[in-house]
Amino acid sequence: MTIDLAADAAARERLSRFIARAAGARRAALSNIAPLRGGAIQENWSLDIDLEGGALAGRYALVLRTDAPSRVAASHGRAQEFALLRLARAAGVTVPEPLWLCGDPAVLGRAFYLMRRMPGVAAGHRIVKDPSLGGPRHALAERLGQELARIHAVTPQTLARLLPGQSFDFLAPSSANPGLDRVQLYRRYLDDLADPHPVLEWGLRWLELHSRPAGEITLVHQDFRTGNYLVDERGLTAILDWEFCAWGDPMSDIGWFCARCWRFGAVDREAGGIAARAPFYRGYEAACGRRIDPAAVHYWEVAAHVRWAVIALQQAARHLSGAQRSLELALTGRIVPELELEILRLIDSPEGRAA
Amino acid sequence: MTDKPDAAALLEEARRALLDTLLPLLPPEHRYDGLMVANAMAIAAREAGQGDAVLREAAQRLAALLPEPGDTTNASWQARLPELETRLAREIRAGRCDAGIRREAVADYLRWSVVVRLRLSNPKALPNP
Repeated sequence: MTIDLAADAAARERLSRFIARAAGARRAALSNIAPLRGGAIQENWSLDIDLEGGALAGRYALVLRTDAPSRVAASHGRAQEFALLRLARAAGVTVPEPLWLCGDPAVLGRAFYLMRRMPGVAAGHRIVKDPSLGGPRHALAERLGQELARIHAVTPQTLARLLPGQSFDFLAPSSANPGLDRVQLYRRYLDDLADPHPVLEWGLRWLELHSRPAGEITLVHQDFRTGNYLVDERGLTAILDWEFCAWGDPMSDIGWFCARCWRFGAVDREAGGIAARAPFYRGYEAACGRRIDPAAVHYWEVAAHVRWAVIALQQAARHLSGAQRSLELALTGRIVPELELEILRLIDSPEGRAA
Repeated sequence: MTDKPDAAALLEEARRALLDTLLPLLPPEHRYDGLMVANAMAIAAREAGQGDAVLREAAQRLAALLPEPGDTTNASWQARLPELETRLAREIRAGRCDAGIRREAVADYLRWSVVVRLRLSNPKALPNP
């Protein structure tokens, strides 16, 4: 069931009463409600509220995020994501401030939460093409490295201190060898699909043979890339899309960020299509003291392309099965050969052969 | 027994009409939808124009890589292509293509198969010759 907040006055009234109660206000007046183009996994709305009375009285620019009717199995629901935003904020990561979570389906039919609306642009192809966005690019890359280092400072040991009382049992655990965990997971996913994929099997076999125990296990964002952070003309305003967080090898996030498939065509700017690797690595290493191992990053770049190819196949399967007919999902199935080309290139490269 | 223009030519012409005539009339919020439709038509046109020869070659190359390939010379090769690919996928996963001449031969086939599929899905991403 999809609720159209723009058209459904009763839903707006229920939402207004929920916000007033959660904020300890006498009244919450909603305005400027508009849908935001989100991902396939959640629905986002932009809205403004005026709180009358209470300690928080005033005007707020907000985003409301709710579960979409069809969810990707591997992604967290909104309650978990709300907890992750609070955790990220406690760890010093630049995120939109999470305000109120509602798990009561009587309000909007599904769980949702509200967070502050941050200014800026997220669209990867725009950020890569338009140098007026995001400020000086080496500084943006360095800042993103710092932000990622703060995420990786969250470990199973530091968790309880950062956000006492909140359970994070929903985070997928990791063995000492997260690469092997991934190989097993993606093989299971491939086995659920109808057609054989020998190139992806080739990539998975390489990942199996070259896996090594992680230096340490930390929180990993798992979708930290250009397209999932907001920038305005001065620089970074927020890290977004926390729904795939898990425990894992911090080098996996570095590989995902630098993977060619997330450079939006600017393939020579190896850090997310915005800069060389050096400033990104420098920002990361300076912020956490951990050294980046180029061989491990190469490994995780192979894993990144395998992962994106498997997700693309799952998205295309949702279209093919009729579960969610969509031209966008259908075309996603057709990006797989590009990803496979990069998998073969990385494995055949001197780094791949030396590993 | 086919009428002209054929499927590939029809799709190409329809795509030209979409891009030249219809796309400028679309409101900006639907421009991306228009471009996706054009992309889908371009892929379909290339696939319709590809012919059978390359799929027959794929079956022959696969048969040469696999133990006990069976007969791929008769008309049933099209039906057998998915089965041959499934068997190659299993051989790779089981570690039976890890080393030696077999590794090189399988890698050659995989590179060739990716290029063949990229020619249909996104020729701009083809590696430089």
